Amino acid sequence: MEADELLVRVAGGDQKAFEELYGLVSGPVFGLVRRVVRDPAQSEEVAQEVLLELWRSAGRFDPGRGSALSWILTLAHRRAVDRVRSARAATEREQREGMRAHHPAFDQVAEEVEAGLEREWVRHCLERLTSLQRQSVTLAYYDGYTYREVAEQLSLPLGTVKTRMRDGLTRLRECLGGVA
Amino acid sequence: MSLFGRQSKRDLHSLAAPYALDALEPHERARFEKHLRTCDRCTAEVRALSEDAVRLAWSTAAPAPLAMRDRVLAAVRNTPQEASPLGAAPPRPHHLPAHVWGTEPPPPRRRAPRMRPLFAPLATATAAAALVVASLFAVQATRTQDQLDTARAQSREIANILAAPDARATNERDARGRGIGVIASAKEGRAIVTLSGLGDLPSGRVHQLWLMRPDVQPRSLGLFQGDTPLVTSGMNDDATSLAVTVEPNGGSAQPTSQPIAQLALKSVGFGE
Repeated sequence: MEADELLVRVAGGDQKAFEELYGLVSGPVFGLVRRVVRDPAQSEEVAQEVLLELWRSAGRFDPGRGSALSWILTLAHRRAVDRVRSARAATEREQREGMRAHHPAFDQVAEEVEAGLEREWVRHCLERLTSLQRQSVTLAYYDGYTYREVAEQLSLPLGTVKTRMRDGLTRLRECLGGVA
Repeated sequence: MSLFGRQSKRDLHSLAAPYALDALEPHERARFEKHLRTCDRCTAEVRALSEDAVRLAWSTAAPAPLAMRDRVLAAVRNTPQEASPLGAAPPRPHHLPAHVWGTEPPPPRRRAPRMRPLFAPLATATAAAALVVASLFAVQATRTQDQLDTARAQSREIANILAAPDARATNERDARGRGIGVIASAKEGRAIVTLSGLGDLPSGRVHQLWLMRPDVQPRSLGLFQGDTPLVTSGMNDDATSLAVTVEPNGGSAQPTSQPIAQLALKSVGFGE
């Protein structure tokens, strides 16, 4: 069964459908959260929250507005970003208080070990972006920085970053094209 | 004024890509979402850009930890959905550990609902366990002060168990909906046990909880009082399961009837 149909059943309280949906989406949800959050224990926790949130709020999914998988991964991404930002805010507080110095990791393109076809293809397409497009997109999506923070890190005007993000995503779409 | 208006609108349009990447600050996100409701072009653009962003997500897929599945599915069995009548928010009990979330549903949104970010020290209590507890307190919100005091004392016990690094939750129901839920720390030999769907008892009868171990007589872990969860300690680490029987008031030294519900303890770390 497709995720869309499963999610609609889950909204109706169908636990079996949830189990099936879990099988489909737990890997993508966990992987995405871990990519953004990094810390394994926190990643697991955020992923769990997202999956439970699917159960609780499946009724909010509106099939007319996009696919279930997009909805689910959008939710997962947002929660991961929220977590990593509050963790960063806490780190900054600590730094201000002089408790310890800590510089957040700053690698843009995934250095993942497992190499699925999709992963390789995304990497290939990311490499075909200009460096600024790639960094604008990946610093935001994989590392959870706001576009203002990205602008600061890349020493670019805000408007330029917004344009690079848009162009980067559009070019990705053209490159990723038919590969599902 | 009109120039400013147009400028500001164009600024808003240009936020579509950062929005699709979740790269807006909260106030900008709120402002842009408000704008989206009246801008069909932006909505279409955001939808397309979000689909692109999701492609970036697929490439990060990684197998989730196996134990996570059990925890999530156990929590799902104990968690009401928002739309259900049980989904109404109970009053937030002050004595719950800070990391117990889920006692109220997040504010309504059209899509991609968010919950409050968690700042509490994490790591220990699983979301599953937290949700079991949250559902317990949803029931208890309607009780008298005395009962609440008891519940409060109990909640300290519960918080202790949740704080155990190995705390895990599981739950099982038979075809008739009768079941046992447990949050347990095998290392500390402590557990919180809840019953569901067992129905009303005839007068003069109680539900008694038993610990089952290999080659040993069942040992009583206590009597249930109504639907209050039972907190127990001293659970042997070789325990295999929990069982519930119906006994005369005051309980029995050994079970005098067949169990009406049982729960294997392997998935919460016992018997290994």
